[in-house]
Amino acid sequence: MKNWKWKRMIGIWMVLAVLCGSLGCSGKGAGIGNLADSAAESSGANGGDSGSPGDADNGGSGEKAMGRFLEEEVGGSTLFCNIFDMKKMEDGTVRLLGEDADKNCMGVWDSKDAGKDWELAFEIPRELEGKEGYVDYAALSAGGQAVMAYNQAAEGKGVVSVLYLLDKEGNASRIPFEMPAAKDMPVNGAFDSSVYSSTSVDVYMDGEPEGGGSGGTDGEGQEEGKEPEESAAGEEPSGNQESRNGAEEDPSGDQESGNGEEEGNGLQKLSGASNLILGLSCLGENQVLVKGIGGQVYQVDVSDGSIKQTYEFGEESGLRESFLAGDKLVCQTDTEVLVYDTATGEQQPKEDVLQKSIAESGYFRAVDSLDSGKEMYWLTNKGLYHYTFGGSVMEQVMDGSLNSLANPSFYVMKLLMLDEKNLLVAANDSNSLTGVTLAKFSYSADTPARPEKELKVYSLNDSREMRQAISRYQKEHTDVYVNYEVALSDGNGMTVSDALKTLTTEVMAGKGPDVLLLDGMPVETYAEKGILRDLSAVAAKAGGNYFENILNAYKDGQGVMCAIPARFLMPLVHAGSAYYTPGEGFDSFMERKDALVNMDPDNVVEKFWYTCGAAWKKEDGTLDKEKVTDFLTKLKNAYGEYEASQEEGMEVSMTIEGQELNELKRVSLDYGELDLAAQKINTNIGLYGGGDYGMMRAVSEKLEEGDFGSMPGQAEGIFVPSLVLGISSKSTQPEVAEAFVGYLLSQDAQKLAMSGGFPVERDAFRGTIDGHEYEPKEGQENLSMTMVGVGGNSEDVSEAISYEMVPATEEEIKKLTDLAESLENPALMDDVIKEAVVEQGEKVLKGELEPQAAVDAIMQKVNIYLAE
Amino acid sequence: MGWRKKRAPRKFYGRQNAQAGQKTPAAAGKKGIKRYCGLLWVMPSFLGVLLFYLLPYGDVVRRSFLGAVDNRFVGLENYRTVFGNTAFWLAVKNTLCFTAVCIPVLILLALGCAAILFRSRYGGLIKSAFLMPMALPAVSVALMWRLLFHSQGLLNQWLTHLGIVGSDWMNTGQAFWVLVFSYIWKNLGYDIVLWMAGLAGISEHIYEAARVDGAGEWQCFVKITLPNLKPSLYTITVLSFLNSFKVFRESYLVAGDYPHESIYMMQHLFNNWFRGYSFDKMAAAAVLESIVLLLLILMLQKAWDKKGDGIRYAP
Repeated sequence: MKNWKWKRMIGIWMVLAVLCGSLGCSGKGAGIGNLADSAAESSGANGGDSGSPGDADNGGSGEKAMGRFLEEEVGGSTLFCNIFDMKKMEDGTVRLLGEDADKNCMGVWDSKDAGKDWELAFEIPRELEGKEGYVDYAALSAGGQAVMAYNQAAEGKGVVSVLYLLDKEGNASRIPFEMPAAKDMPVNGAFDSSVYSSTSVDVYMDGEPEGGGSGGTDGEGQEEGKEPEESAAGEEPSGNQESRNGAEEDPSGDQESGNGEEEGNGLQKLSGASNLILGLSCLGENQVLVKGIGGQVYQVDVSDGSIKQTYEFGEESGLRESFLAGDKLVCQTDTEVLVYDTATGEQQPKEDVLQKSIAESGYFRAVDSLDSGKEMYWLTNKGLYHYTFGGSVMEQVMDGSLNSLANPSFYVMKLLMLDEKNLLVAANDSNSLTGVTLAKFSYSADTPARPEKELKVYSLNDSREMRQAISRYQKEHTDVYVNYEVALSDGNGMTVSDALKTLTTEVMAGKGPDVLLLDGMPVETYAEKGILRDLSAVAAKAGGNYFENILNAYKDGQGVMCAIPARFLMPLVHAGSAYYTPGEGFDSFMERKDALVNMDPDNVVEKFWYTCGAAWKKEDGTLDKEKVTDFLTKLKNAYGEYEASQEEGMEVSMTIEGQELNELKRVSLDYGELDLAAQKINTNIGLYGGGDYGMMRAVSEKLEEGDFGSMPGQAEGIFVPSLVLGISSKSTQPEVAEAFVGYLLSQDAQKLAMSGGFPVERDAFRGTIDGHEYEPKEGQENLSMTMVGVGGNSEDVSEAISYEMVPATEEEIKKLTDLAESLENPALMDDVIKEAVVEQGEKVLKGELEPQAAVDAIMQKVNIYLAE
Repeated sequence: MGWRKKRAPRKFYGRQNAQAGQKTPAAAGKKGIKRYCGLLWVMPSFLGVLLFYLLPYGDVVRRSFLGAVDNRFVGLENYRTVFGNTAFWLAVKNTLCFTAVCIPVLILLALGCAAILFRSRYGGLIKSAFLMPMALPAVSVALMWRLLFHSQGLLNQWLTHLGIVGSDWMNTGQAFWVLVFSYIWKNLGYDIVLWMAGLAGISEHIYEAARVDGAGEWQCFVKITLPNLKPSLYTITVLSFLNSFKVFRESYLVAGDYPHESIYMMQHLFNNWFRGYSFDKMAAAAVLESIVLLLLILMLQKAWDKKGDGIRYAP
């Protein structure tokens, strides 16, 4: 009996010991101190293969993993505005086929020092740059010869692609190859112009196609259809080179290029196509792989133009891109990677690793091999990957988040592996002077695998602007790893409220972010609670020439700046004189019946919320009921009667290819310009944060005494802060955070091509509106652009706007600068009040509710919020 | 059932031991160890309560005297702020109203249903059906709510067919009654089960004796059933009260952070305060609420002890 009691006691104590032990073991810090461990784990995971640069041995516990690829821009004095292909030749020379922006010529360059300096080997024969056509694709062989796809007009056939072979010295000869007729026209993002913007864009080019600027998209086009994530979902740009990209163009470089249709006005319309070439790769010295528009890949003998093999991919296969890795043809579909042996034309057995590669690494952007086809390297926006055919593991050799690869504006076109530790990457880059960047990545064994410092940046919504800035910052600060966390991503089902609660928990637990992108967050509440650090020292140190009125948007009476907007938007109205007089007040604007007719009701309320909401808050913190009533009553007067039939059209216009417009696009001024020009609406209102000034000018000309100015509102001098930055008061490394925020305010970051608003730095502001990219170069003519509304018929010229893409005049620049200087009050950025107002305001405009009843509902909801 | 007579004999036994201990120290030591062994058995549970309830509660009390983020001592300022906060009083009022309406209705309705089902042949089957709402995930219930009670939802469509003008249920005062209905719908089955268990615990012999004495059904119910169900009432009241806090989930999922003012509950307030880093106000309000709840439960228990006539709840 006694023993039994003792056994019971021992059992109890053992259970307690196990419980305590398990509690003690569970704590594992996740702070900066663990970076080395995570880096070691990361490099350990990356370096699965012996000899791989990523295989940094962490040497057991406690030692820092070393070795990382570092990035540098190369090119020397040669400024390439297009790069078709790069090859390492047998003697070690690197050969490049591209275009020189300065000399405005296409040619072949050699580099003896792995891409640092380039020497022109020969220019492309002038007959391939003539007015009759243009080189669309080109490829180099390891022996130094080149194959070029030349698109030219052929009588009765529209545009046809002709192949030319250039020997090592640059002598051209035509390859007797004719593209077989296309079986299927592709359903491919590259040819679907409507994905570029809210309006379908057709490019018309005056005269010769060799102009240095670009047709294509407006400044915002690239965001809407070409986000990397969206690309992965089905709109992957093909990465084709387009020789006429300007600095602001789509980074993928995909532009319509195809059959020319001569129209009555003498413009050549580049849309529609028969079987055109969509890609070229040299297979040894004697063969070339030609990708056709219908998804077929032809293996062509360059000596006689005969087709040796045809690789068929129907529309259902979803072929996205084909690459050459040694002698292997690597074809990437929507879901898998197929490999073909070009010697036999047969498909290799499917390999598990490759099947999973798309899910793990993302879609391939460029592929290369260091041998004849036993292995391959590929680049995605996540990094550089390596796989040995027949192997069991793919390895991430380089982490894209530490360099430009993760930058949304950096779209890889070509990869050239010089050796295991060095590679050249050619990319379309909208932030580059020429639109193209040539970067060299070299492995540095002395650099830590992961930067020693980790800076956490947090935002509610994914910010392309922030990603760009982070990528640039990391490139310049190799000792800092910027960990960008986005709370609301597609499919995670999280609401803003949930995200903010999670953020609160993390911040209070000391594991929160260092830098906060405060867009959509209650900035004033955070400042009041002491969550945000004072940034006045950062602003003072930034040293740029800023719009002080904008920069000091969140400066309080004591001079404390808890947040700084790095960008801003201006609420504007654009209309003919019958509906708007620049400078007029809210009351007189709203007196015009039907001034806002045919517009989306909730959109109208939301836009005017920005210029009116700031006037509603009384000194005691409550809302001024009379002003809200006045707002809704006058808005209803200007809106007129709502027609339910217009709802359907609006729904369509508010989406692009099924993709919801983001918040900023929904309220942007650009969005309604074509409708205004087509007189579907009487006034265009919205937020203007940069864009195509030329289009605004063209629309004004179409209207009777058309002009634009500040959007009238109950409050005056309103601007909308964007990219609002704050530093957490709980940040453990405020100096690093301040340096990062300082960088975002620097000229370098301010000049990045962003669609999130105007820069607060004056020089950068001017750079976004002056149209400097449209300055014609010597011997070039101005390009023109024609935009056609989605609802309209592209053949109906009356619904299209044509305008020349020319730099803005000083007068135009001054007008916008004066407007920016006149803005003194930030809009009320309170989503709770805004949602309540928009919800009820929509009902008022639709005639479902009287303004007074709507105001009661708003006050009921908002007063609880304000009372909290 | 968890209800039993006071364990008076054991108490007496303890005192007896103590007296005995004075007489024989060895026996007293043995018994003392045995007594402390009981404490050891309680320790794991007590540690859990200490770690997860008492210590955090202590921290909440401490925070109620500090600033939100900077932890600066502010004295009673947070309490003053809370007492002057109209949103707090609205939430208190709504929570009390909701509790005052829902709990009596639920308890009485469940008792009525239980009494009927207890006598029914198909009582077991129907009882299971009443439990179905509890098995439904809150998200599904919220989705159903939206479909039903939206201004252009199913309920209004049905009403329109019947020639009745519908309403924007969730954005008017009717939202309160929708919430009451939802709470009762969801918890009725659970309370029926509890009442039926209580009914099953009443000896059939008492009824038989009463009937022999000439008592009718109503008299049996009033004089026998109800008094014998008193022990169940405490459990059911406490559980219903606790379940009333869970209705927030549905309300939040349907109407978000800021529902119509009639269904703005304490949980909404705490939720929104947490999101806005108002830990100071949260802590003060939580302390106030816990004091009120504690007082309510103590009063209920005391009142019950008086009426319980020697019967008390054994946890």
